[in-house]
Order: sequence, then C-alpha cells, then structure tokens
Amino acid sequence: MDVEDVIKWAEKNIEAEYIEIRGEEISKMNIELKDGIFPTFTSLKLSGFGVRVLAKGAWGFSSTNRFEKLKESIENAYKMAKAASYGRYEEVELADIKIVEDEVRSKMKIKPTQVDVDEKVERMKDLEKKLKEAKEVASTQIRYEDASGKKILYTSEGTRIVWDMDYVWQYIWLTGKNEKGFASARDEIGSVDVGWELFQEEDVDTIANRMMKKLRAQLNGVQPKRGEYPIVAGPIMVGIIAHEALGHLAEADLTINSPFRDLIGKKIAPEFVSMSDRIVENGFGNNVYDDEGTKVRDVHIIKNGILTEIMLNREYAAKFGMEPNGHARAENYMVPPIIRMRNTVFEKGDYSFEELLEGIKFGYYVVDFRGGQAELNSSFQVGVQEGYIIRNGEIAESIRDTSISGIAIEALKHISAVGKDFGLEMGRCGKGQTAFVSSGGPHMRFDKGIVVGGQQ
Amino acid sequence: MNLIRYGEKFFDEIEIAIYRKRNVGVDVELNQVALSSLSERTVSVIRGMKDKRIGIYVVDSDDEGEIRKGIEIAAKNAKNNERDERWQGLPGEQKYEDVSIDLDYSIKSLSPDFFVELANEAMREINKRDKNAMVAGGASGFQWFENRIMNSHGIDVLQEFGGTFFYLFVVGRKGNVVTPGIVDFEVRRDSKITKDAVVNSILEKLQYAYNVKGANKTEGNILIEPLALAELLYFTLLPAVNGERKVKNTTPLANRVGERIFSEKITIYDDPWHPMSTNPVIADDEGVAARRNVIFDKGVFKGFLWNSYWGNISGEGSTGNGIRSLSTGGIGIGAHNLVIEKGNKRKEDIIGEIEEGFLISAFQGAHSSNPDTGDFSVVANPAFKIENGEIVGSTVFMMSGNVYELLKNVEEISDTEKKIVMMGNGVFPDILFRDVKIAPVSK
Repeated sequence: MDVEDVIKWAEKNIEAEYIEIRGEEISKMNIELKDGIFPTFTSLKLSGFGVRVLAKGAWGFSSTNRFEKLKESIENAYKMAKAASYGRYEEVELADIKIVEDEVRSKMKIKPTQVDVDEKVERMKDLEKKLKEAKEVASTQIRYEDASGKKILYTSEGTRIVWDMDYVWQYIWLTGKNEKGFASARDEIGSVDVGWELFQEEDVDTIANRMMKKLRAQLNGVQPKRGEYPIVAGPIMVGIIAHEALGHLAEADLTINSPFRDLIGKKIAPEFVSMSDRIVENGFGNNVYDDEGTKVRDVHIIKNGILTEIMLNREYAAKFGMEPNGHARAENYMVPPIIRMRNTVFEKGDYSFEELLEGIKFGYYVVDFRGGQAELNSSFQVGVQEGYIIRNGEIAESIRDTSISGIAIEALKHISAVGKDFGLEMGRCGKGQTAFVSSGGPHMRFDKGIVVGGQQ
Repeated sequence: MNLIRYGEKFFDEIEIAIYRKRNVGVDVELNQVALSSLSERTVSVIRGMKDKRIGIYVVDSDDEGEIRKGIEIAAKNAKNNERDERWQGLPGEQKYEDVSIDLDYSIKSLSPDFFVELANEAMREINKRDKNAMVAGGASGFQWFENRIMNSHGIDVLQEFGGTFFYLFVVGRKGNVVTPGIVDFEVRRDSKITKDAVVNSILEKLQYAYNVKGANKTEGNILIEPLALAELLYFTLLPAVNGERKVKNTTPLANRVGERIFSEKITIYDDPWHPMSTNPVIADDEGVAARRNVIFDKGVFKGFLWNSYWGNISGEGSTGNGIRSLSTGGIGIGAHNLVIEKGNKRKEDIIGEIEEGFLISAFQGAHSSNPDTGDFSVVANPAFKIENGEIVGSTVFMMSGNVYELLKNVEEISDTEKKIVMMGNGVFPDILFRDVKIAPVSK
C-alpha cells in the first residue's frame, strides 16, 4: 500500500469535505564548529506524515512518523475535526484552486549530497581560521546545515505534488572583545535554489570581511542617543522593516485583527513607495506551490503607496473573497500550514546613496539587524547590529547595542526617498513555526517615525 | 538485542536517547476554534565517541532496525570528525534524588472535547463582557513526554511527565484604536486547568488598552510582569551563567563567583522540582542527576550551570544541566526551570504606591538583546501607564539598558509568581525597578 491507496481509502471511508496528506522524507547534515571543536557532527533523518481533515466545517490535524499508522492518523484528524466543529459558529470554506499534478525539481547545480563531507568540514575550518585571524575575535560558532529529500502533497481534490526538498544554510555567531568590552555579530546565509555553489559566491573571505565589519562596528561603537531622528536604512534593514513592520500585518490571519484590515485600497505611504512579497532571484522563500497546492504568485502589498494585496491561504482567501496566492507554509509534517511570507521586499526608487544622506544634520544609518518583532497594533522593533551616526550628511562613528522601533503605519508616511540599489538578506521567521524567508530592498530614508533606543 | 552493546562494537562510548511526545491541542482564532490536533512524535538520538571523535544520528523513529542503522551512520560521522582532546567521557552511573513528584496521569486521557469546551466558554465570556474584543488567537491542550536516556557507562533512566496549558491572545478595536494583543495563560502539572484567571486578567487589561496614552517621560519606575521579565532574562542573563562561556571567558560573570552582582532582593535558582514546574526531571538529557542549583543568592553570584563536557573541562563537574537540541542531537547547557524567588508585597499594593510609572506585560524584541554584554534595547508593548497608584491607559515605549544595571535597581518583588513556558521553563514574580530610562514610541 502506498500514499495513493491510503488517500483513496480515506475518500471512501472518511466523511470529510477535504483530506490532505503531506509527507516528508528528508536527510540532513548538521555540523557545528565552535572554537576549533565540532561538538555536533550529525546526520538526521526526518520522516512522517501530517494529515489535515476538514469535516463538519472544522479543521482536524494529526501527525505520525510511521506510515503504518497513516490511516489511524487520518481517523484521528477526522475525530479532531468533529471535536473542533463544536467550537465554531461558521463553517470553514476553502477558496477554489487549480488542481495540479506536478513534480517540482531542485534548481541546485551542486546538491549538498554530491559534496564530500571532508569538503564541508574543510570549508568551515578555513572560515574559522580566517575569522580568528582578527585579534578582537574571542569566540566563534559556525553552524552548517544541508538537507536533501522529498516532500509530497496528496489531497482528496486530486492534487498530487512531489517536491525535491533541498537547502543549504549557514549561521555564524561571533563574540569579540576589546578594551571597551564584549560585542557580538551574527550572519546567516542559505538557499533553496542554489546548492553548494552558494559558497563559491559567498566564499570565506567575503563572509569573514562582512562579519568583521559588523563586529568592529559594535566593538568600537558609541551608545546612541535615544529618541526620534532621521534614519537612512540599508537594504538589509529595509528588508527587515518590510518583513516585521509591514509584512506580518499583510498576512491575512493577522491583517484581520490589525489596522491594515480597514486600509486595503487606501493610500498608506507616498506614491513612490511599493512593497511586495514575491519570487526573487535566489530568494530563500521561493517555491512553485505552497503547502496547500496553490501556485505561488507575486503579491503587491503596497503599490505606489496604496495598500493593495495581502498574503492568503485558501481559508482566508474565501473569507476575504479573494484568490489564494500561495502563502500557506508548514515548517514540517508535524504542523499544519499557516500563512507565511516568502521574500518581502521594497521596490527600487531613483535616489543615490549620497542623495539619501543629503541634508541630515544628525541621524542614523542602520545597516544590519539582530532580531525583530511586530505587534498587531503595528508597533515594530528591530535590533541593530551594524549602524552609524550620520552627521552633516556624512557617515560618522558606529553605534552599539541598540534597536529601532516605530508604529509602522505612521513610519510609512515619513519615507522621504527610495534608493536605486537593491539587496537581499536570507533568514528565518518564527511565527510559532520556523520558515525560511528573504527580505530586502533598496536604501531608504525615513525623516520621522522611527525611534532609536539608546542608553544615552 | 541490547542496542548499547551493539553500539559498543562501533564506539568507545555510546549514548542512546529516545524522546516520545504526545500532544492534544485546540487552536482558537477569530472567536472560534480554528483547529483541533493530535500529534505524536518519537525521536531517537545516538551520540557516540570513537577515539575522542563524536558522531551523532537523529531519527524520527524508535524502531530497533532504524537505531542500529543510526549507530552505523553515527560511527561514520565520528570517523569524519576530528579528535577532541578535551573530551573526558560520557557520565557514569548516577544516584537520582528521591523526590516526590505528583504526576497527574489523567492528563493523558483528556479528550479534545474538554479543551474545545474550555476555549468555547472562555471566548463566550470574553465576547459577552467586551463587545469590542476579538479572540485573535490562543490554544489549550496537553503535552506528555516520555524520555529514556541510556549509555554504555550504566545510565538507564526513564522519566515521564506532562502538563496542561491554556492561553488566549485578545485584540480590542474601538473607534480608531486597535489595541496590542493582550495575552494571558495558565500552565499546570495537572488537569485542573480553568479559564477564569486568564479571562479576567485579559479583560481588565483590555479596558486600559483602549485608552492610548503617550509615554511623555524619559525615566520612570517600572513594574515588569513575569512574562516580560522572562523574555528579558532568558536572552540577557541565562546565557551569561552558561559554564561554557566561563571557560571561554566570554561572559561578564567570569571570575565573579562570590561577588554581589544584583540587589540583595534577587535570588535566582534552577529548580526542576519547584511545585509549579512542568519539567520535573530527575535526570538531564545526558542522564546526569538533576538538582536544585542556586545561581544568585541575595544578589550574590553562586555559580555557573554545567553539562558534563564543560563541567569536566572546568573541573567543576556537571550540575545536571545538559540540555539536548533535537535539531542537532548535541548537548548544550540550559535551565530546567528557572525561578526568581518571589517577594512579600501584593502586586496591587506595589501599583498602588507608584505615583508615576509604567507596567510592562511583554517586550518586543528581547531576542535581539546582546547575550555577551547583557545590553538590551526593547519595546514595551503591551505596556500601561500608572498615575497616582492606578493604571490609566496603555502606551508603547522603548527601554534600553543593561541587565546587570537593571537588577541592581530592584525596588519591590511581588508575592505572587507565574509559570512561564515560552522561551524556556521558569517561574517568575513581578519586579518593580526604579529610575529606568525610556524613549516614548506612542504619541
């Protein structure tokens, strides 16, 4: 018996409006290098099934890591749906999608499984050696992970999708020390489309130079003055503002409780501001279909200053009377899909970097972040791991251990210029589940609306 | 077939850990139940050492054949790894504390109907008492864990425990005001979970949240509630008491054991057997006997937390704080149930004595703090303004500082405590800090 037989059995035996089986079999390699030692040198095999059943107008979910318990898991999900139906005053409806049978192949040129473990180890050792050349570096932690495998989606509507599931990912945490004290810097890169070749572009020198720039900015930084100042944000910071401050509010399950609910179709930013969640080259959130089998399409969240579209799954598309756009994502088979971003970016404008700095007597240039968080009242916070003072239109000394915050729908109104460059950052978003995402955009200037935290 | 014995064919030392988790949960969204779920997961971790080279395998199964295969793959990984000259061995046989832990096995048989009804009643009451409230999210359910740790030095310990939980996330919308999400929760080691405390607390805060006030100050007395306190301390202080950082000299607490670091009102310990703990383990994830470890006693730093690897290197030995990551199979250092000792003043009385100040329920961005220095720059939201001993409205502001400075300025600690399970397990009271610098975000 295979999954096809099981879903056929379920269609006959379970009185449900909709049944969905997601299966995974993924092999991972996880290696950690901490100060010359590999304390984890791990192979992982993750396999199992997540079952979602819509019955009596309610969702039930069950997961198992044993194929022989898949039928039982479907029965459990059905029982769960029946239980959940007593807690609903309206039935869940799903917006229609085009039913597809497809195979999604990896675009990687060099899959991580084709690379010898020794090569992975040597690259990490080279990177650590390079980082440790700097006298300020007190401790290094380099984590590398890759995955290869398959994911399937079978539904009672006839969807049959098989994906190659491959990625490479690297995370670095650096602790530095100088006469002023400790500081730290993080860096994260990864890809689902580019394989081992990622590390040809992101070679040891490139990564080490970027890390040391961030670390030194922190180590030698001054405490910023807290308060509201003009801000020029670099592509990585612009991206995280797009993600945290605006992207989450445009996830339909959050939109419905946020100020965005009443602003769809209205002007919320100057006309030269556009922001999308879309497929970008080498985006960490790229995919062809989402985990409900909906084809992924670009979502123009803000178009020429107007709040235009939001990110949807099938349930929320039906609720909003819109078309699903491929944003239902599940971290793994153990959890049901929820609405998530993919690659959230501000679109380019036409200002040069120098023009963005012009006329700022005192402000801040924020380049890279360390964590961020949004709230439904559109309040956002982003930690700054690389930032500088702007004094008389020029970049001056670096700042340390601060963050920026604002009320997103207010801050948007104060964007005064958008740069003509573009950059992208790879990362992970936590919304109960972890998802690979990208965020980015051009340099941008906010004249007001962003508060800088500081101990001064 | 004894799997440990099979593993010894490939390794000098081997550890096999099997984690089973079962959970039933009900998620709520938009004033109704969104989904009910039943999930089971079994994970086996094989961690072996050959010629001081470590190799690990993690598999979603407890099948004997899979574990045997895993032993062989872990052995290959060990072969590919490099020698760790500092490795001194897996822990040996342990004497476990004979603690009396009340386990409520009836948790395991609670049906989803019970949790649906709990959520339904709570949502009905919230909507009845506040027509502007929307239960935006929440969940109720139980989790049950069965963990077995075995190694080739004679450790074989099986432990099981579980708990029930209920939380709601409510947003109010009145006129142009959208309140921040107001959260409250209850976590218990038994099945006696109820809605009342959560519902009442949320509705009370929601009333204040509709009235948005500017912070209008740059300094004030600040009462931080348990969840917000946990958010801050888990990201700024807990990393600093990790023994690995002492060995590497990357913590501000290195060489400061015995020194007064904080206000003498602050006592912090890791206590898996605290009456409110939902993680009442007798052994850590390496099978080392767990214990109550005092970290700060009346403000004085008493010592670091250790797993066996770093404890052996330092010469201090493990404190039973080896915590496994199931993403890597590796053993780090962490707390089982971090407790800040409660004080002796009612929270209402503490608020009543604040002439002008703030109450903070949660922070945004605590995870962006600097664990190496204790510096933080976070947004207080939801937060509330206090005037003449009364909460008068909600506000949003930034709070930047350093945890070592903050915990010197403790004015009062409440006589109540709350079980926290976000970020990590813990039990925290409310703490009033004096003269904290802030930057207003709300206008």
